[in-house]
Amino acid sequence: MDQAIYRELIMVGVDAKDSEDAIRQVGTLFEKYGFVKDTYVDAVVEREKVFATGLEFPGISIAMPHTDIVHVNKPGVTVAKLAHPVEFEHMGEPGRKVQAEMLFMMAIVNPEDQIGTIMKVLGVFQNEEAMEAFKKAETEDEVYEVAKKYIG
Amino acid sequence: MKNCTVVTVCGSGVVTSSMIALKIKEQLRDKGWDATMYEASPVSLESVITGKDIDVIVCASPVTADLGIPKVKGMGMVTGMGEEKVINEIIAVLEEKHKD
Repeated sequence: MDQAIYRELIMVGVDAKDSEDAIRQVGTLFEKYGFVKDTYVDAVVEREKVFATGLEFPGISIAMPHTDIVHVNKPGVTVAKLAHPVEFEHMGEPGRKVQAEMLFMMAIVNPEDQIGTIMKVLGVFQNEEAMEAFKKAETEDEVYEVAKKYIG
Repeated sequence: MKNCTVVTVCGSGVVTSSMIALKIKEQLRDKGWDATMYEASPVSLESVITGKDIDVIVCASPVTADLGIPKVKGMGMVTGMGEEKVINEIIAVLEEKHKD
């Protein structure tokens, strides 16, 4: 399976004032390392307004912003811990807010090839042990280790 | 195995719809349904279903348009909380349509 987790795509302590700011800060990583085209971040921001990606799980609330494959060069997942929760709208219920503590931003090139990665990311949200490990991880290296272990 | 055709819908028609499509296909197979899956976004939905005999639309993003095809809310498949309920609702639609 394609590699999804890269050390350079890990971020902690993201101090964002709102969801757009969080997406822009974290999206910078993708751009900096050539994973996405310069249209990606704007496209994610716009898409998030129309089709939100906030999700609430028993242990944690997260968001998984992403957008169309035309904006992506190379597949990957950014794993970012926010300095404080940021309000995102819930994916399935317009108007419902979630207080996201982490962002898993996805760059997808070919959904069929990357279905394994997508399943693993979604699976990790439902894995309380993994989410507990993410919550405890404080440094980028620690977050990277957890992400490597559970997503790959 | 009985045949059926299912469309999954999410915001981009890429990430979430592919993920729930895989789960739905597997779980329907366990219940005796061989599903042909299509993925769509709310924008592409109408063109995706045109010319196909779609049994049910499973939505991970809200779909407001009435396309004359039963819709089932699929968020349970995304979060893993309530997967059984989603599958049961899909099967209820399929059994109703294929009862002859």
